[in-house]
Amino acid sequence: MLQQVVNALRKQDGVHDWLVRHIQKTSNQYYVIGARPENRRTVTSERAVVTVMNDHPPAKKGEGRMRGEAEVTLLPSDLQHLPQKLDQAVFMAGLTDNPPYGLPAPSEYPSVDLADSEMQAKPREVAERMVQQLTEALANEKGVRLSSAEVFVEESHIAIQNSRGVSGSQVGTELLLDFVLLASGKGEEMESHIAFRRRRAADLDVPALACRQAQYARDAIVAHTPETGTFPVVVSDDALVELLMGSGYSPLVLRSAAQLKYQLLSTWESGKSILTEEPHGDPFTLYSNALLAFGSRSGNFDDEGLPGQRVLIIDKGILSRFWATQRYAEYLQVPATGGFGNMEIAAGSSPFENLFDGDGPLYHIVAFSAMSPDPITGDFVGEIRLGYEIRKGRIRPIRGGSISGNLFDALAAARFSQETTFLGDYLGPRGMRFPKVTVAGV
Amino acid sequence: MDLKNLPPEWIHTGGTLPELISEMETKVPYAAALLARNSGVQIVVNHREQRVTEIPLSQGFVLTAWNGAWFEEVAGTDLTREHMLELARQFAKTVNVSPAEPIDPGPSTQAHFATSCMEDPTLLSPKDKLELCRDLHSRASELDPRIVNVHVRYLETQESKAFANRTKQLSQNVLRLRLSVQVFVSDGQEVKYDWLTKDGTGGLEMIQITGQELIELCGHAVALLSAEKVPPGMYEVICAPDVSGVIAHEAFGHGVELDMFLKDRARAEEYLGEVIASPLVDILDDPSYPGGHGSYFFDDEGQLSSPTHIIRQGVFERGLSDLFSAHSLGAPRTANGRRESFQRKVYARMSNTFFARGHTPVQSMIESVERGVYLKKTSSGMEDPKGWGMQVTSHYGEEIRNGELTGQIFAPVGITGYVPDILQSIDAVGDDFALSGGTCGKGHKEWAPVSSGGPHLKLKARLG
Repeated sequence: MLQQVVNALRKQDGVHDWLVRHIQKTSNQYYVIGARPENRRTVTSERAVVTVMNDHPPAKKGEGRMRGEAEVTLLPSDLQHLPQKLDQAVFMAGLTDNPPYGLPAPSEYPSVDLADSEMQAKPREVAERMVQQLTEALANEKGVRLSSAEVFVEESHIAIQNSRGVSGSQVGTELLLDFVLLASGKGEEMESHIAFRRRRAADLDVPALACRQAQYARDAIVAHTPETGTFPVVVSDDALVELLMGSGYSPLVLRSAAQLKYQLLSTWESGKSILTEEPHGDPFTLYSNALLAFGSRSGNFDDEGLPGQRVLIIDKGILSRFWATQRYAEYLQVPATGGFGNMEIAAGSSPFENLFDGDGPLYHIVAFSAMSPDPITGDFVGEIRLGYEIRKGRIRPIRGGSISGNLFDALAAARFSQETTFLGDYLGPRGMRFPKVTVAGV
Repeated sequence: MDLKNLPPEWIHTGGTLPELISEMETKVPYAAALLARNSGVQIVVNHREQRVTEIPLSQGFVLTAWNGAWFEEVAGTDLTREHMLELARQFAKTVNVSPAEPIDPGPSTQAHFATSCMEDPTLLSPKDKLELCRDLHSRASELDPRIVNVHVRYLETQESKAFANRTKQLSQNVLRLRLSVQVFVSDGQEVKYDWLTKDGTGGLEMIQITGQELIELCGHAVALLSAEKVPPGMYEVICAPDVSGVIAHEAFGHGVELDMFLKDRARAEEYLGEVIASPLVDILDDPSYPGGHGSYFFDDEGQLSSPTHIIRQGVFERGLSDLFSAHSLGAPRTANGRRESFQRKVYARMSNTFFARGHTPVQSMIESVERGVYLKKTSSGMEDPKGWGMQVTSHYGEEIRNGELTGQIFAPVGITGYVPDILQSIDAVGDDFALSGGTCGKGHKEWAPVSSGGPHLKLKARLG
């Protein structure tokens, strides 16, 4: 399919540059409710995502050439209508006037570990084993049972070519494990729900995760509402990733994007602090890392064919550089780094246990209902799904109420754990302590 | 099958669906087939860029087989008749059928549906639609010197589906439109923003944005530059329809999706037939609501759309089902079996979910508040059907003192609380009504178009 599309693009009038990504994917999906299967699915798909660029004189007054681009998705059944589909794309690309920009040139790609050979060879068995491990682990957890689980074992083959001669391919796997546990006690029943995405099955210790989530479910039954006020708050593990990365629109990632800078939506400047106050916590250092072995956002190349890289974005609170795709790199005249990879944050100075120092009260948040900091302002509000109040050495579970603040204020004063953790698309401190966070409770 | 107005390449494929059912049902007690396609155009105009492009095309088929205990499915993108027939044969052979209650395929129905519209956008060229966006961008950009960018986005989606089982042959073409304007302002130190979205199933008449609305939008964005954090605590709250809708959707709606009952994940199960909310409260889900962004004619399992009264006068009356949950629980089927795309399974999902209109004028609701907050717009929400904790984040709210809006803006504002407490605290329901469209996930995935809304509500909640 790829070669047919490339051949057609080379002959197509009005295509001045082009990019094709050919994606073939298989997905094995297994769903259970309690011990009973609910559904089993196998999905195969193939598509080519084609971007065409058309250069033309500006529609309004002016000189020179302007560039427009349009994207079309082609399915195998579209091959018989290829010229018409490409005509339509050229027509759409010809409607818009943007300053000229180029495509990435060919370069040598790194070889990043992206695929789990067992998931490729035995996807069904891997899915069933995940559920079996969960079930076995829960047999030892008093008062806790499996409500439901979903396991997706997927394999993708991606090939890329562009009009400047870029050519590459990569094979990757992805595992989704999503499960809900129910704990009973004191006439109540509560749940803990978690979803993990990894490229490799070995990166999920299912028995340990089942044990942790079982404890969370039990603790939710006896949890109290936190107090209202300003307190030190420690956020750890998956909850910390949610706070830093949001649901795909992390303010740290967006504010450091050349595209947002070009669109006048990021006030950050290279060489200047990203923090809103004088830093007095651990230095905050952030990398975009597309080379992390089995990282969910790793790749030999990005969506437009730039090689995978590990790039320093924020160095001790100072913006080192904007991450940039080819187009915005050219617009801002900065190096092209490729799309943002996995979030890597430098470890801090404190052992994890020391983040809880002091008589308290201190709140340790392990799960939010949802935490999506505003991608532009960094303001956040999140309901506490589960946490712990620590007061003079006494620990008791909390749930309900919320924490709120601003991510850039909070990072200026935060202490990070020495211990790091890998959570799919995050490599960094296991926990962070924010000394002053607003808690809305009773 | 009658496939008029559906994608031309489906003329042959659609006709194959009954054959696929016959082929599979030689082996399995129930089979169904679905063709699904999402296509359309997207236009973006902002200060620095313009783009006209197709939305990512999604097209494929799903073959479903009941093995006597649960469903098995295969899905793919190769829509050739030979491939699908061979796959149906091979697939049916692999299904291990166990004796069990049969699945009811429903009454015999053959029908084709298409969204009706007054101003059909498909008759306009992409160039005309681009001009519409440029005009909006131009009008919004000149409203205030503090504006640093204005994003205008037009989204036109054609959702085409053909469904068959042994009694049904259905097809539909649903046209969804969405037009949004996002205004970014800066005081030189920070950037704030607000947005206005019009959406629905129908024609361009659904998405008209007036000059006055642009002026108000710009005013809200500028006001956010001086917003403060709300002092945490319990407040009397007036919710605008957008916020009311998210409460209906996140706080209650997810907890009455009956697959959650099967998984013992919904506390609402204990309240079936019981009082759960103030007697002023009625909540409905209605995929047949005219023009709703979440509207459709039949669900992904061939159930024709109709309204479901979830809460009537404060009593929880009925949940929302897909085929598996209705079959397993012996519950009535509602038209809420939806899938994100052919790549995912069906779940019980909401469509257009809303509080029914009440009788109280909005102004008198505000006047009745001594110390409170008027919450105007949501930015996010999350369900907690087992714990019934509520999380809704309002993009901003305005202080109310002694029955008057003070002009003091709080942003963002988190709304939390125990769902039954919040629903029972509702002591006034407005005489207005509006729906807002959006995309809803189940957990953290499975995105589907929906809408939510209702009238203004007056209630008590914890803000922070």
